[in-house]
Amino acid sequence: MKLGRRNFLGLGGAALVGLSLKSEKKIAGSFVNDSFQMGHLLRDRAGFPAAKNTEKVPVVIVGGGIAGLSAAWRLRKRGFTDFVLLEMNAQAGGNARWGENEITAYPWAAHYVPVPSPRAEYVRELFEDLGVLRNGQWEERYLAFSPQERLFLYGRWQEGIEPAVGLTPKDRDQFQRLENLFTEFRKSGAFTVPLELGLSSKFQNLDRISFSDWLRKQGFDSRLLHWYMNYACRDDYGALSSDTSAWAGIHYFSSRESEEQGPLTWPEGNGWITRRLLERVGANIRTSQMVHRIAETRRGVRVLAGDTEFQAEFVIFAAPTFLAPYLLDNSPQLQDFIYSPWLTANLTLDRYPDSRGAEPSWDTVFLDSPTLGYVDAMHQSLRTQVDRTVWTFYWALAEGAPAQNRQFLLEKDWAYWKETILHDLERVHHDIRQCVSRIDIMRMGHAMIRPVVGSIFSEERRHLKRQNDRILFANSDLSGISIFEQAQYQGVEAAQKVLKRLHG
Amino acid sequence: MGILVFISVLLVAACGLIYELVAGTLASYLVGDSVFQFSTIIGTYLFAMGIGSALSRCIHRGLANRFVWIELLLGVIGGFSSALLMLAFAFTQGFELILYALVMVMGVLVGLEIPLLMRIVRDRYQFRDVIAHVLTFDYLGALGASLLFPILLVPRLGLVRSAMLFGLINAGVALWSTFLFANQLSATRGLRVACLVVLCALGAGMAQARQITATAEDNIYADEIIFARDTHYQHLVLTRFKDDLRLFLNSHLQFSSRDEYRYHEALVHPGLAAVPTPRRVLILGGGDGLAVREILKYPQVESITLVDLDPEMTRIFSSNPMLTKLNDKSLLSPRVHVINADAFPWVDSNADNFDFIVIDFPDPTNYSLGKLYTTAFYRAASRHLSAQGLMVVQSTSPMFARDSFWCIAQTLKQTGLQTYPYHVYVPSFGEWGFVLAGTHEYLRPTSLPAGLRFVSVEGLPALFQFPPDMSPLPMPANQLNSQILVRTYENDWKDISH
Repeated sequence: MKLGRRNFLGLGGAALVGLSLKSEKKIAGSFVNDSFQMGHLLRDRAGFPAAKNTEKVPVVIVGGGIAGLSAAWRLRKRGFTDFVLLEMNAQAGGNARWGENEITAYPWAAHYVPVPSPRAEYVRELFEDLGVLRNGQWEERYLAFSPQERLFLYGRWQEGIEPAVGLTPKDRDQFQRLENLFTEFRKSGAFTVPLELGLSSKFQNLDRISFSDWLRKQGFDSRLLHWYMNYACRDDYGALSSDTSAWAGIHYFSSRESEEQGPLTWPEGNGWITRRLLERVGANIRTSQMVHRIAETRRGVRVLAGDTEFQAEFVIFAAPTFLAPYLLDNSPQLQDFIYSPWLTANLTLDRYPDSRGAEPSWDTVFLDSPTLGYVDAMHQSLRTQVDRTVWTFYWALAEGAPAQNRQFLLEKDWAYWKETILHDLERVHHDIRQCVSRIDIMRMGHAMIRPVVGSIFSEERRHLKRQNDRILFANSDLSGISIFEQAQYQGVEAAQKVLKRLHG
Repeated sequence: MGILVFISVLLVAACGLIYELVAGTLASYLVGDSVFQFSTIIGTYLFAMGIGSALSRCIHRGLANRFVWIELLLGVIGGFSSALLMLAFAFTQGFELILYALVMVMGVLVGLEIPLLMRIVRDRYQFRDVIAHVLTFDYLGALGASLLFPILLVPRLGLVRSAMLFGLINAGVALWSTFLFANQLSATRGLRVACLVVLCALGAGMAQARQITATAEDNIYADEIIFARDTHYQHLVLTRFKDDLRLFLNSHLQFSSRDEYRYHEALVHPGLAAVPTPRRVLILGGGDGLAVREILKYPQVESITLVDLDPEMTRIFSSNPMLTKLNDKSLLSPRVHVINADAFPWVDSNADNFDFIVIDFPDPTNYSLGKLYTTAFYRAASRHLSAQGLMVVQSTSPMFARDSFWCIAQTLKQTGLQTYPYHVYVPSFGEWGFVLAGTHEYLRPTSLPAGLRFVSVEGLPALFQFPPDMSPLPMPANQLNSQILVRTYENDWKDISH
């Protein structure tokens, strides 16, 4: 450290001038990947063009997120190639989309997958396909590098997100007691990924109470414990713990072994998986194809997208299920599908900001921030010298009613969100404005399904999942929680049902 | 006369602020954590000023005399504060103590100034005018100083001379006051002499400022610095004491010219001499060209690829006469190909095979360097080994960082290679360790290049024997997702430095 002095003395003047004449650096950027305009066309039942062409194809997959891509992966892997996948956006991937600039690739939403347990067979099969799992070994360079997570609290850093600094004996005791409870739930085998494998009515009463109420009922009143549980719900469900079913809250902590080596991640987050899937199924994908009507006939299903009518035998509906009533002729109104609005931003940094002495981590969280912190895309780089990077900033608008938050999300302009994001980061990185050259922001009104009280054991869901007609639902929201493994599970299951029906 | 008094106020206020800024800036530079330093120093300074103001009521007589003395004292203490603090940091353990003591003393003196001055001039004006004018000029002086300091003083004069310049101004105000308040002063001549002495001392200080800065800096390194450069990647310093040249990268000793032959002979020959027909050699790190010098002793070697991150490093070791003398102009050999690239991505994307690979990176002091000591990296590197190939890895000290050394050995083993750890004594480093690794069994060489000063065929077996205090420890392998080595290394060195 002593050595730093020579440069300090040399550069000191320049640095001080910089400090005293703090000039506002110009920060570029815009909203990107907006898709609500198209959604609103459906909502407002705008007139769509009549079909000019017809295409006969046995299977149509609607929606190119992980569920749809996984259905396509399964179909092709079983040697079935006679299908199309229709994606509304210009880029497939849904919540596993990615972006890329001259520095690095970066995620637009989901950015990791926990190391899957042996029960998550489809996920393991996929990862074997992609070379992530070889001879029972996880590829080291796809595991999140150390240091992984850090939390900023009381003016300092700690490793890990579960608060470990400044705990009173009571806090410590409560964290331990809760951990013991989660271990019991884990042992019960009822909390699994995918959740369908373990779902047991024995624990249905946990779906009738909110997570925060359940915690309080168990005698937990530690502020830090509640902060952490609330953070977990915001992070995984985009919801406050008071809006989350206790069953889902417990599932977050009790569905996985406390893995030492995970999670799996890539610079572009789950976009890496999307890329690999696109290499395998890209030939069947049509992007910028907004489906505007799906109608069952006596012989099959008509799918209208743009000016083309697809005549299919089966449709895998992998788009978010809330769209079904707008597309299907006689779809029931849905009650149990509530979605959390999100905002993600990708910040281009020309240099790393002052981090109060800490080395960069993969995932950074600030205690008591309404946001979820940020992930560093260059963290998974093999380079030893990293000057520039991209941070993906996450913010679930969890507080308040989703519909109002969606409204708010659309009303405020880019400059408003830019300022809000910088303001949040400035609390820890005082010179962040001097480092950022670009902020692109993605607004997602219906980013993920919200596992509200009663949603996990909802009759409506059970009915949709069981449906075995010509239209099969496959979005992860069917399960009530929006995670990669669920999306993949629903997609693969739907594809298998279709293959079974097609081949007798 | 009025305006002259108020200009004194302005200058005095500026001096007070400058000393405070100098203390805060120096503490931030030297200790780091500028928010903490500035906060505590401003707080302490203001608090001391309060004490000074409170003390001013104890001064009953001889106001003008006292004022002149305070100005002189401030001139001396404030003027030399910066130099004193730098020397304190370089030569003593008690930098913080001296820092806060100085800040307290200066604060008290500054706190005395304005109350005294107000009382000196109070008979000449109405009370409300005194307050208004004195405070106005006080704040104006502060503004001027706070603008001058970062824009002009620090960049143009540096911290040592800036403080001295304002010490001169303080002493100047003292001298000026002996004329301004002549009718309220006693022993005026003595005061003026004192003023001149202080002015001369500070003037001499100004002239010697560069020397003071250099003395303080030199003490970080024991010897004369003959070369220092900040490259994009690291801080490079070369020192010399008599015939001993030493290179420091980010303050870590890389070699001493007196005994580096021990390190580099031991790094290269036990492995390279055991390769039957070595034609192609790869060096990762080692931009000083010293390992290359050893490798060039094998005429069979047709090409040496050197991958080093820092172009400045390889450039200096190709061009500086003192350094090319040390490495025998090895980097200029037509057999050598220098590539300036980050090692891991390079190893990952290159497809060539090599008969011998030298991995000579700085110790794993941070998570970035830690990536170059992982199973993932060694797997990628070992894919470049030819059928007869061997690689050797610089593995820190098995004596001072015993856990780290055996962790590196275990990491190599985990990748499926056969490993052969060994160690040498390098006086300037202490006991140092290496690990040889290959896909086949290692057989010690039966002949070595002529002219080696340390490694010998007879001496080789001893290198592979570890006495009990360095013997193997069970350690986990280092992986990208655990970086256990960086944590281990930090603990190892913590253990011996305390």
